[in-house]
Amino acid sequence: MAFKKPAKTKVLRTLAFKKPVKTKALRTLAFIFLAFLAPLCARPQGSIGGIAGDETVFYAQTKQVNQFFRRFNGEEDVSGTRLYPGQTAYHDLKLRRKYMNMLFDKDSPLVNNDQKTVFIEEVLNKKAPVLLDFHAKDWFCEVATTFTWKKQTVNIILYLRIEQQNGGYKWVLSNCFCDKFNTYFTHLGDTTNLKFFLHPMSHEIDFMNIHKALDDPKNIDFYLDRNYVPDYLALFVSELKEGNLKFVSVNNEKFHVFQVPNWYFEISFFNRNNYNSGWLISNLVRLSPGDKNELLKHYTHSY
Amino acid sequence: MKKLLALTIFACLFGTGLYAQTQVPPVEITPDRKHAIDSLALEKVRDLSKYISIIGDKTTPWSDAHRVIERACELFMDGAEMGVSSINRPEQITNYKVREYFDRLMQLNYSKVVIDWYKIQYVSDLERQPDGTFVGVITVYQKFQGYDKEKGLVYEDTTKKDITIYVKRKETQIGGRLIGFWDVMLGDIRVKETCKK
Repeated sequence: MAFKKPAKTKVLRTLAFKKPVKTKALRTLAFIFLAFLAPLCARPQGSIGGIAGDETVFYAQTKQVNQFFRRFNGEEDVSGTRLYPGQTAYHDLKLRRKYMNMLFDKDSPLVNNDQKTVFIEEVLNKKAPVLLDFHAKDWFCEVATTFTWKKQTVNIILYLRIEQQNGGYKWVLSNCFCDKFNTYFTHLGDTTNLKFFLHPMSHEIDFMNIHKALDDPKNIDFYLDRNYVPDYLALFVSELKEGNLKFVSVNNEKFHVFQVPNWYFEISFFNRNNYNSGWLISNLVRLSPGDKNELLKHYTHSY
Repeated sequence: MKKLLALTIFACLFGTGLYAQTQVPPVEITPDRKHAIDSLALEKVRDLSKYISIIGDKTTPWSDAHRVIERACELFMDGAEMGVSSINRPEQITNYKVREYFDRLMQLNYSKVVIDWYKIQYVSDLERQPDGTFVGVITVYQKFQGYDKEKGLVYEDTTKKDITIYVKRKETQIGGRLIGFWDVMLGDIRVKETCKK
């Protein structure tokens, strides 16, 4: 429950996106199956509560990223029971097909219906089906956060990935992006400046002239290697340790997945009161050779 | 004989975890064991849900509510927090220490509070942390209704509660014998208001 009474109800923005009738019908069937049959055959392990009201939305909702992985891989049956290796339905392609259609945000303009069909066919290829692996590489989390930096509110994107340690796993910060940090590097890569440089014979005078560069911090970025890529994570750590950066909140999280060969997709949480809710694919991109690195650079701001 | 004694001591040390602080003995969680742990974890979540209902109930005497808060806090690891957000401000998460959360729940300014829990629940897989403890998340849904004496129902919400659970292999001595068991503690809880109808 919330401690503060809500001032007004916010209407979630929905994006209009027409789908072909056939796919829509298939999805509707899948929803009906999961929403109405699943509760009937559910075997709750001693359920917590007793509200027998309309909870079909909660059954259908992909409640955790963990459940997204299970449904994608066919590792849970329609009643939500975990399937294990050796059970007939485990990784079953028919079961996966039922789930797969439901794992897309049906309102997303970034999910092309034709591409979605191709994606599903490739993932469910009988000879080489593709499974997601929580512990594997090629996926990472993007967390949108708010900090205060030198008394002003700033948004920082943190990138985290799973790392193995001592037989266990943990999320580690792999990068971050803050547009305010860009102000340190406004002249990076500038090739037009004819004023701020260390002349090519500076080494002969023991770089006695370097102080002219260092005493003028606002122009120091003119003196950097034009190919230098700023390490925002180093800046982030430094600013935090110096006490200039104070954490405020986590605003949002989403996941970028590159585990399906030749595809990229994004998983986001949709808080909706219908069967198409929870953790769903919100963006799907077919990758050509070389696209992956470009996309990685784009999504992690590591240019 | 001495060799046997040394071996026994070694086995005991290894078994109790005194062997080395940094070494994590490899423990696998089989599907059957996972099922048993899930039941144990759900039992704790069920206790928590009962406690929340009692604490929030306006007819619960103050002293009883305090006793229940103590019991509820015992379910949690030290430092556990509740991260609460509303649908109006999903990006604004307020973190409360669990005790503070229960205190605020007890002091809510409604003449009557009804807290119900949906039957649906989801128990994640258990992932092993670097320190050897396993961690998982249980998702449950709660319906809250706050009534005013004159105006009747004035506030209503349904929240999704994602509850962290920590699962640790522990041992206790019973009658001179070391008995292993799985202990479950609750951790941070993310409380997210679900979309209204």
